[in-house]
Amino acid sequence: MNALELSDVRKIYTMGDGSDVVALDHASLTVADDEIVALVGPSGSGKTTLCSIAGGILSPTEGRIVVAGEDISDYGDKQLTAFRQQSIGFVFQSVNLVPFLNAKENLTVVDELGKRTGKVAQQRADQLLEELGLADRKKNLPSQLSGGQRQRVAIGRALMNDPKLVLFDEPTSALDTELGEQVMELIRMEMKRRGTSAIVVTHDERITQFCDRSVHIIDGHLAA
Amino acid sequence: MFLALKEIARAKTRFGLLVAAIGLLVFLILFQQSLQNGLITGFVGAIRNQNAPVLVYSVDGQRVIQGSIIPPDLEAELQTVDGIGEVGRIGQGTFTGLPSRSSETFDTTIIGYELGPDGQGLGAPIELAGGRYPTQDLEVVASTGGDFEFAVGDTIVLQPGGFTVDVVGIADDIQLNVAPTLFASYDTWSNAVQSVNPDAGEPLPNVIAVAPADGVSDVEVVGAINARSLDFDALTRADAASETPGVAQVQQSFQLIFLLYGLVVPCVTGLFFLIVTFQKANALTLLRAIGAPAGRLVWSLLIQVVLMIGGGLILGTALYYPLSQSRLGGISLRFETGAVIFWSVLLLVLGVASSLVAARRVLRIDPIEATTGAGVGV
Repeated sequence: MNALELSDVRKIYTMGDGSDVVALDHASLTVADDEIVALVGPSGSGKTTLCSIAGGILSPTEGRIVVAGEDISDYGDKQLTAFRQQSIGFVFQSVNLVPFLNAKENLTVVDELGKRTGKVAQQRADQLLEELGLADRKKNLPSQLSGGQRQRVAIGRALMNDPKLVLFDEPTSALDTELGEQVMELIRMEMKRRGTSAIVVTHDERITQFCDRSVHIIDGHLAA
Repeated sequence: MFLALKEIARAKTRFGLLVAAIGLLVFLILFQQSLQNGLITGFVGAIRNQNAPVLVYSVDGQRVIQGSIIPPDLEAELQTVDGIGEVGRIGQGTFTGLPSRSSETFDTTIIGYELGPDGQGLGAPIELAGGRYPTQDLEVVASTGGDFEFAVGDTIVLQPGGFTVDVVGIADDIQLNVAPTLFASYDTWSNAVQSVNPDAGEPLPNVIAVAPADGVSDVEVVGAINARSLDFDALTRADAASETPGVAQVQQSFQLIFLLYGLVVPCVTGLFFLIVTFQKANALTLLRAIGAPAGRLVWSLLIQVVLMIGGGLILGTALYYPLSQSRLGGISLRFETGAVIFWSVLLLVLGVASSLVAARRVLRIDPIEATTGAGVGV
């Protein structure tokens, strides 16, 4: 089963003056199980819009979205919220951690938002932090972590709900080159270890070497 | 609950300051509530807590006992009004007294009433805190509280007559005009008045206490008396207390203060949570993006509101309790359980209502803003 199937997806924004802007135009994309896809494009090309639609943050104007066999095309707000909570992992570009929760709590909050499993979630958070090399940092607040550590905590949080698809939106944009590469290596390793599919949104071609394939997007049009 | 408690735990100073602010306001509200009740009881407790259901003043007295005089012809006419059961004379005056346990004289109010066979004639205190009712002249029931704390067994020498009265009973909340008050026989009061001005002759009663006949209500008898003559100003006990000059003004002043406090607490709470909501907009957006239902975030906010106001109420009540056991000059304060419950419920409701603006902000969060870095309301 494919992790993601986008078919003829369009997203049109209506601006304040009544004009329409096509952010995504008949985009079709398939992400296979266990596949890491780099979505590359310049700023304003529609890559974040595509990623948001795939993750259920945004609803399409037209088209069909199937995530791991679940058709979310016609989901309402509440269904999309539950879908994101249960099936998707997110790592955002800038806003990634809750500042008043420590590293471990930033992971367990995912469990708190859904059907609470308590101890199981605590153990999973400990295990993820261990694997991400943050076992000794789990009680630190985000403000007490470096940029790389914060991004690793965000990766841990994205994996906490055992998602079918993880969406990385410019995960290295706030990091220097060396740290960015380390984070990408970690992302690849963690995704492959779990057999989880991922889309990595980036405008940096160097990131593509860590992905199985690249898809380019320009002005809302996808090109392999 | 998880998010609400974690945030409070990580921002103890911020939330602690809010609890302190609410606690201080609650303390001020409760203290002033006690002050208001103590002040009014000190002014008119003797009217409110005497046993005559109806008091008849002369119109000229303008509802002040000492200013009212009931001449004999008016007293005689009152006796003929339908619906009247029992009547009794009441006189009131202020005198100088020297208590046996003190070397200093003080001003005291004496209320004279017709004792009846058991000392509980019309105008007697409804309830005693200790001792017994007077059964003869020169025996008195004294008020508790005030500048001098009477006890059963005390004696007081009244000036300028120089005769001694014995305190045989004490009662709470029977002061008049915030002065130590003695309930004595009508003749004791009359003799005290005549000792001040021997040439004036026998004083006239200030008001007449009335008990309605069986089957007649207090309000009915008040209506019948006032309908009989324009010179009568009959009032039920509660009205006589509340319509004493100055009482309504005191209540209105305090109510204005309470209204302001009642608005300040929810305003402080509402603004605090609105500011906090703006400050943590990014975190809330992130939580929405990763699947937090908006209702869960609003619930978390409301839990914090209830905890903060609850903490403020506990703190305010804890500060209020010791002060409510004290006395301010001649005014006795009291712990007002009813006021604590009333204000707790009211402030909780108003606080939650005021935080709905912040809740609305939370509900307006669009998770897409997590991808742009923008927060709510930005």
